[in-house]
Amino acid sequence: MSRVNRRAFSRMSPGEIAFEVFNAIFMLCVVVMTVYPFLNVLALSLNDSLDTVKGGIHIWPRQFTLENYKTIFGYETLIIGARNSVLRTIIGTILSVFCCSMIAYTLSRKDFQLRKFFSVFLALTMYLSAGLIPGYMLIRHLGMINTFWVYIIPGIVSAWNVFIIRSFMDNLPYALQESAKLDGANDFTIYARIILPLCKPVLATVALFVAVGQWNSWFDNYLYNSSKIQLTTLQYELQKILQSTTVSQTAPRGTSVLENMARVSPQSVKMAITIVVTVPILVVYPFLQKYFVKGMTLGAVKA
Amino acid sequence: MKHSRGNQPLPVLPAASPARRNSFWKTALQQRWLYLMSIPFIIYVFIFNYLPLWGWTYAFQNYKPHLSFSEQQWVGFEHFVRLFSDDKFYQVLRNTLAMSFLGLIAGFTIPIIFALLLNEVRSSFFKRFVQTVSYLPHFVSWVVVASLVTTILSVDGGVVNDLLMAIGIIDEPINFMGKGSWFWYILTAVDQWKEMGWSAIIYLAAMAGIDPELYEAAKVDGAGRLRTMWNITLPSIRSTIIVLLIMSIGHLTTIGFEKQFLLGNNLTKEYSDVLDLYALNYGIQMGRYSFGTAIGVFNSVVSIILLLVANGVMKRTTKESIM
Amino acid sequence: MKKAVRLITILCIISSLLVLAACGSNNGKNGNSASNNPSQNSENQGQDGLKPITFTWFSADPVSNWNNMQDMVGKEITKKTGVTLEAQFAMDANAIPLMIASGEYPDLISPKGDAAKLVNAGALIDLRPYLEEYGPNLLKVYGQYMDRLSWSKDDDAIYILPSLNAVDHQYMDIAGAFHIQHEALKATNYPEIKTVKDYENAIKSFLEKNPTTADGQKRVGITFLADGWRIMIGVTNPAFLTTGAPDDGEVYIDPETYEVTYHYRRPEEKEYFRWLNHINDIGLLDPEAFTQKEDQYKAKIATGRVVGVIDQDWGFQDAVNSLKSESKFEQTYAHFPVTLNENYKDHQLQSSGFMGGWGIGISVDNPDPARAIQFLDFLASEEGQILNNWGIEGEHYYYDDQGVRRIYPEVQELKNNDPATFTKETGIGFYGISARYGDGVKDSTGNYYTTKWPEQVIENYSSVEKETLSKYGVNRWIELWPQADEFPVKAWGAAWDLPVPSDSDYAILAQRMQEITWQRIPQIILADPSEFDALWDAYMQELINNGVEKMEDEFEVYVKDRVELWGGKVN
Repeated sequence: MSRVNRRAFSRMSPGEIAFEVFNAIFMLCVVVMTVYPFLNVLALSLNDSLDTVKGGIHIWPRQFTLENYKTIFGYETLIIGARNSVLRTIIGTILSVFCCSMIAYTLSRKDFQLRKFFSVFLALTMYLSAGLIPGYMLIRHLGMINTFWVYIIPGIVSAWNVFIIRSFMDNLPYALQESAKLDGANDFTIYARIILPLCKPVLATVALFVAVGQWNSWFDNYLYNSSKIQLTTLQYELQKILQSTTVSQTAPRGTSVLENMARVSPQSVKMAITIVVTVPILVVYPFLQKYFVKGMTLGAVKA
Repeated sequence: MKHSRGNQPLPVLPAASPARRNSFWKTALQQRWLYLMSIPFIIYVFIFNYLPLWGWTYAFQNYKPHLSFSEQQWVGFEHFVRLFSDDKFYQVLRNTLAMSFLGLIAGFTIPIIFALLLNEVRSSFFKRFVQTVSYLPHFVSWVVVASLVTTILSVDGGVVNDLLMAIGIIDEPINFMGKGSWFWYILTAVDQWKEMGWSAIIYLAAMAGIDPELYEAAKVDGAGRLRTMWNITLPSIRSTIIVLLIMSIGHLTTIGFEKQFLLGNNLTKEYSDVLDLYALNYGIQMGRYSFGTAIGVFNSVVSIILLLVANGVMKRTTKESIM
Repeated sequence: MKKAVRLITILCIISSLLVLAACGSNNGKNGNSASNNPSQNSENQGQDGLKPITFTWFSADPVSNWNNMQDMVGKEITKKTGVTLEAQFAMDANAIPLMIASGEYPDLISPKGDAAKLVNAGALIDLRPYLEEYGPNLLKVYGQYMDRLSWSKDDDAIYILPSLNAVDHQYMDIAGAFHIQHEALKATNYPEIKTVKDYENAIKSFLEKNPTTADGQKRVGITFLADGWRIMIGVTNPAFLTTGAPDDGEVYIDPETYEVTYHYRRPEEKEYFRWLNHINDIGLLDPEAFTQKEDQYKAKIATGRVVGVIDQDWGFQDAVNSLKSESKFEQTYAHFPVTLNENYKDHQLQSSGFMGGWGIGISVDNPDPARAIQFLDFLASEEGQILNNWGIEGEHYYYDDQGVRRIYPEVQELKNNDPATFTKETGIGFYGISARYGDGVKDSTGNYYTTKWPEQVIENYSSVEKETLSKYGVNRWIELWPQADEFPVKAWGAAWDLPVPSDSDYAILAQRMQEITWQRIPQIILADPSEFDALWDAYMQELINNGVEKMEDEFEVYVKDRVELWGGKVN
């Protein structure tokens, strides 16, 4: 693609130029449309919470304040939560990408005897859901309640990610493995030395999905570890604050009870905590991005 | 199509031989590393995904959580009969499937077109910038998005109505959120707005794996941009698209309820209530575990049928499949 | 493919057998522990005095700003009782069912509406034996209402100590459902506002002369919030409030025969909805009333351009606070007991007596129920209640020369301006988890238990509010309402508070009726008036087709049971 880039504008046909212009305008529209909700959250988080009630804030705060952030950083559990969130994201992502890609490799080997069986066995898990209670009982019997590992182990294998990686591997030239095989390399070596490096774009993608999933999950924290403050996560702390409003589904009848429920954390504080919890994971993206914006030069590897 | 890597004939290792049994163990021995790499995970998947399925027995009992298994009362298919004789069930099923299909159509065209066009952006900086920005809305919660959308579509000073009135398309503001029959389309559009950039990532990754030589060759052939996109980029990400499509088709009935719930209102209920909300309202929230599980079993069965059909159709027509 | 499926089937069968075996043995164990006898282990317990002990406490309501008892009041409570609470809060409806499935319970549980599930599972102990011995203050506070704590007609055990409803609570003020801006009243020369017609006319005539606000914004006649459950507060509850019925949730209960009617089926309520249809027809109703979300609704009110609001005052408090912060007092609201016509009386002040209801229970896993009761007893004592409501003497409040308890001005200021920090640091209000007195009850020093009393309410009115009040010849809004002594005490408490088994046919039918109503009512209100009657009849028929009568009959049984349980007579 680098050579494509170097082509001068002057050599483009009128049709090409029209395409370029249209494309640039289209992309600008996309930017404007998609950046808006996020800027809106940011502006609200920096606005005075009483003033926020009046509405009409778009991408710029009306009454600038850092009070909302001060309120959030007053929560002591935030540090513990941040530590656990970072840990589970890093450990969970590395393990999951490693395991999923390994499975994907075995499934991409058309000659592997268990290929058919394992594919079906794995694919069905995407659609079989046992429900909350059996899942909970399993974790309990495995002794994983109130442990850090409950964040990592149950989610390590995701069928979805496996199939994504496999579909990428299916497109790799088989000749590479052939030649390595002839050199006497075993299957694990082929996977680790030859296949993995070629899969960087898809691994980066899956890593992003897993990392975002790990970072954003709070339900496992709530379900299994809510009684242990040392194991709290950032996302769970956020949910606790946000939940003070969203009881709507279970709202009972009768006004004096409802009065209790209308007591909410101010919207601006909620937006501030959303920013605090979201920004760290956004930073991951640019690091991974280079693997799928620039094309891999497969040709070089082949030679 | 001829450029697609996915369609290159794959060399198959020698498998069938006269002494079948012997050769089976021989191959197994040859593949010992593959076995080592997969058996631990087969056990893992069995424990974490298949063991808990004993919970499906709830669907055939009047399950009470404090009673032991032997003390539960068995009722056969009673909960299923109840489910299938409920008019509301068919209404929520209709809504769920309608929104799923719309989502499927939009979700498999818009992000792909976006990814294709983004892939054509020349400036690497601009490309990265657009990509980063376009995935931001994925991280904004539905509560916020729902509120933004209602404000934008508001009758009273909403941007869209003001715009339409200014250019003279309408004389009177339209109450977008009050029209039940529009809900499916509004929801689909908003969903794409929020998730387009995020969904495109996977296609961009697939495009990053395309051999640049293919583009060079196309250039030599004198192919234009659109032609290259159609003849090289799209076929190269074909297998990714099909795999994603098969997996999504299996999920047609399970689409969550959060976005529908938050974006909808009492005027759109007829069109915005979905199966997952129904399961929550009439199932676990009422302590009716068995009924809730019956809906879960129904979902799983439908999902697997859809998956098998999609997989089979795709295998036959495109030679791509996940199983 | 075929082979694979077969293998999976076999694996599934094996797995289910394995798990069943594991489960069976486990559940047997749980069954035993549930049946231990509470009075047995009370012998040598409860004598430990202040020995530090930590209780786990589950609350179905998240307490915002909870500070793990490291707040001032929390530390004081630990000092006095030796007890530290380790709180867990529910985030969704699954919390209690999961707890039951796992068979492990926190020491103290505040389950809200899920108490019945716990009782059925044998998770809560009978507190009656402990109350006699360790709960003198609890007995004193519940006093004459002790018999309302019994679980049911067949089981007179006490599993829950009610804490949500305060004992002998009197309303210090009330705002009702109908609100109108002070400036509209002033401009229309403070007209009498008793009926919906009065209300409509005042708003209409004000709007005719003042279509825009001083800063040029278009005014909105009447708005309400109808999103999700808020439709009950803003749209459907006023139907019974204006037609002379008390708040019994979604039903009306005949005070003589205890006959239950789904309240929408009362003929008089149809006329209220006809009025809503009418104000929509004449353009007085906000066109966005049924589509707006909470923040748009509040934002609209906060701009000061909404003349009339139908809602409970807590529903748009934020918006009013915003108006006040800009000194737009003229654009805040006056409150009236509006009825459909002169024949009806607003029943909002009718007393339900002490309703019992939601509260706290002690689980079978609690290592020392006696200590737990002593802890709750301390919270119910005069000292404990004052601590929870007022804070610490010399720190948050003091007694003036006349012996009147007063909050320090700087404390009050923090409370008003930064309630989050205030509650988090002081912990005031966190510990209302035991028996407690309501507003208007005085302690042994002659001061009020709570920080709300008539003079204090009046002090907090703005000058505009006081002016409007004086035009109507009263000091507080509550004086405009028919007073509690005009009505008999309801023998069944409040119907919305009745513990109904959540998986009963009634619950399923009620959910269905709610869906129909929430869907039909907006359509009927927005319809052309000529179609109103036809649509209403169709709605009524739809209710009947879906079993509304069965629902009413089933609920009647629960109502009658409670009346009997509480010592009333049922014919």
